[in-house]
Amino acid sequence: MSVKPKLALVSLALALAACAAPPPAAQPAAPAQSPARPFVISAIPDQDPERLNRLYGKLSDYLKAELGVEVVYRPVTDYAAVVNAFRTGDVDMAWFGGLTGVQARLQVDGAQAILQRDIDEKFRSVFIANVSTGIQPFEDISGLQALKGRTFTFGSESSTSGRLMPQFFMRQAGLSLSDLRGEPGFSGSHDKTIKLVEAGSYEVGALNEQVWEARIKGGEVDTSKVIVIWRTPPYYDYHWVVRPDVEQKFGAGFIERIKRAFMALDATNPAHKEILDLFGAQKFIETKNENYADIEAIGREIGKIK
Amino acid sequence: MSVPSAAQRALPLPEAFSPWRSLLRGARLVALLTLLAVAWAATQTGVFRGDLINAGGWALVQQFFAAALRPELSPAFLRLTLESTLVTFAYAVCGLALSLVIGLAGGVLSSEVWWLVHQRPFVARPGSPWLIARGALALPRAIHEVLWGLFLVRILGLDPLVAILALGIPFGAITAKVFSEILDETPRDALRALLNSGAPPGHALLYGLLPRALPNLLSYTFYRLECAIRSATVLGVIGAGGLGYQVLLSLQSLRYGEMWTLIAALVLLSGITDWLSARVRQVLGAPARLEVNLAPGCEAQAAQLTRATPSSRGLLALLGLAVLVVPLALVYLQPDFGRLVSPRTQALLGQMLAEMFPPDLSGDQIARLLQLSLQTLAMSIVAMAIAGLFGLALAHPAARRERGPRWPYWLTRGGLLVLRAVPAPVWALLFLFVMFPGPLPGALALAVHNLGILGRLIAEAVENVDQRPTRALQHAGAPPLHAFFYSTLPMTIPQSLAYIFYRWEICARETVIVGFVGAGGLGRLLTEQLSSFDYPGLSATLIALFGLTFVVDMLSTVARRPLR
Repeated sequence: MSVKPKLALVSLALALAACAAPPPAAQPAAPAQSPARPFVISAIPDQDPERLNRLYGKLSDYLKAELGVEVVYRPVTDYAAVVNAFRTGDVDMAWFGGLTGVQARLQVDGAQAILQRDIDEKFRSVFIANVSTGIQPFEDISGLQALKGRTFTFGSESSTSGRLMPQFFMRQAGLSLSDLRGEPGFSGSHDKTIKLVEAGSYEVGALNEQVWEARIKGGEVDTSKVIVIWRTPPYYDYHWVVRPDVEQKFGAGFIERIKRAFMALDATNPAHKEILDLFGAQKFIETKNENYADIEAIGREIGKIK
Repeated sequence: MSVPSAAQRALPLPEAFSPWRSLLRGARLVALLTLLAVAWAATQTGVFRGDLINAGGWALVQQFFAAALRPELSPAFLRLTLESTLVTFAYAVCGLALSLVIGLAGGVLSSEVWWLVHQRPFVARPGSPWLIARGALALPRAIHEVLWGLFLVRILGLDPLVAILALGIPFGAITAKVFSEILDETPRDALRALLNSGAPPGHALLYGLLPRALPNLLSYTFYRLECAIRSATVLGVIGAGGLGYQVLLSLQSLRYGEMWTLIAALVLLSGITDWLSARVRQVLGAPARLEVNLAPGCEAQAAQLTRATPSSRGLLALLGLAVLVVPLALVYLQPDFGRLVSPRTQALLGQMLAEMFPPDLSGDQIARLLQLSLQTLAMSIVAMAIAGLFGLALAHPAARRERGPRWPYWLTRGGLLVLRAVPAPVWALLFLFVMFPGPLPGALALAVHNLGILGRLIAEAVENVDQRPTRALQHAGAPPLHAFFYSTLPMTIPQSLAYIFYRWEICARETVIVGFVGAGGLGRLLTEQLSSFDYPGLSATLIALFGLTFVVDMLSTVARRPLR
């Protein structure tokens, strides 16, 4: 009889030891943060993840050589998570869409929009439709009325070209979301919007024009199944936003050096061209916070900015 | 029974002996209300509305199932799968370790018996430390792990610490509640004897109560490990990494071959954990996974370690292994504990709290929240009605039997394992291929996932039922089907229904996570608010969620009472 409690107590001691284990084991992990902290970049996950890893892997290598500091790319699962990581300071600079860039700057005092691609000054969304719908391409915005009674998907909730601007133009055309058949879907990314409309899962979708063109060029879209029905008017979209405290961390003039590094990307240099091609751009140019005032106004109108 | 059997004609049973009648007598009102609630919920989630099925998506579903024949098996992807499996397992282990620390401390402090031995005579009046301890544990329990994760990531930033805390805190609060119940239900004779012979309270508890409660405590801990694996997977889906994250990525890129490989890994991980946990409980002599409906004062069966002398060595080895696994998992994940106390964390916490208050309680908002709360409630009811019905039906083939063929057991058990191994948000995304966004695909996803859990719980209740009445009927000449309907089924129904109501409480919390992928209810609103950084709106939605959780917990407790 006396054996049992003893045995039980031994097991209890072991169980308690198991519980007590975390703090001592944690100590070696804590100082792992090296004094020379890397420059951390991230991007909204608007395309296929492996494509993004390839793109930002190459970009990190390039920036590391140009800036002379360790550069790390942090993949993040959703748009809002990038904004949040930028806000907490885990990410120093991020590639945002128009809307997420505004959201990020509103949450970090002094954050600056510094760079954009040549195409971002006049960015557009495309509305695509499965050919089985019989919807014909149109020129005037009023043609969006053809979406009445159709199934429709956006991209991510926080996407500028896959949600905000399409919803804005639909509203301008007098089309309310309740005119669609069923609730609108949120596919999550531009690539998935193409695939869902191509498969007929949704009849119509809206996405980023640049991604569409790139997939067409790459022969990844079956154009006998899915076509563009309308291109939106142009607006400002993607841009790099940098935290104000990077100059304290990496030295005065660091932001200027980032700008120079990006603007030095030259389409005639094969190594540079690879990066520019992955971005779908000819070159990077400067931008400023004021360029996104319209996006902010529309964001407030749709309710994505409070 | 329309045709009276020979046995009955020969020996008419008095009416009071009918197991069905006595079952119904206590629970007639609950049964009626439940049926009404299910009918209301079905209407509310739009089961009877048009425009539910998006027929365009069937091609994708076909592609998905066709891909099962050619899972992605390249060495690089297999390595990724293995690494992801380790990450998910490591999160589960670290989260569980933290929850045990919280659970032991909180469990002791919120148990009656602790205060009983320390303050005599014991009076449970409001304001007593006991009530404070109980109350303090209610809040963390009401918040789903995923919500903990989303808030912690805003304070602590991107770090493995977030997932460990997100898992450990709510699990700790649940464990504390169950531990306190186990401690209170453990026979007190030895404790009393020690106290009466003058032992100090601490010693009396350590030597008189803990050893007898230990098998139940350990058994519950291993049950929590199964839950922790599922939870770590779901946390992965929202960005913590591991299997859940990889499944989501593959699904978002529509690479189904990869998905099947990852699902196989999930099923293996869950299956091994479930098997291990069952073995441990067998050794401990506590076969039930969890006891949800003990009547007050009914003391938990004291598990016996007597016949376990050889296997308790195995148990010790297992515990030794557990002690090793926790530090290994920590080294693997490298959480930065410094973040807990860093000034940045304090600043971000202060900033977030300031933004969240005051909550947005405008008239519009309240009307919207009420409507969505009802929708969420309906989602959880529809989910549990489906999971419950199928669970009751599948539990019998899924119960281990002494005689008869073995294949129905393996087939149903395997099927249930797959259903619960795949996290609910992934089920929701699959349903969204062929259904329009809304509460129904979310409800179906929750139904499928919970069926996997419930089916097994009920099957175990069936296995543990007293076999004697069934045998008596069979020996008296009743055909097997009659014996089943007049003994096994009515005897397992109260416990099964108790499980269904208990799972409903959890399901109501889980509605949030299917909402994140666009499947309706308060979770859908929460996603929209999170992506709009609408913190005042967010805190209003959280209040609605607390209210909902509270109402569901209360209804479930009331409904379970007549089933005891």
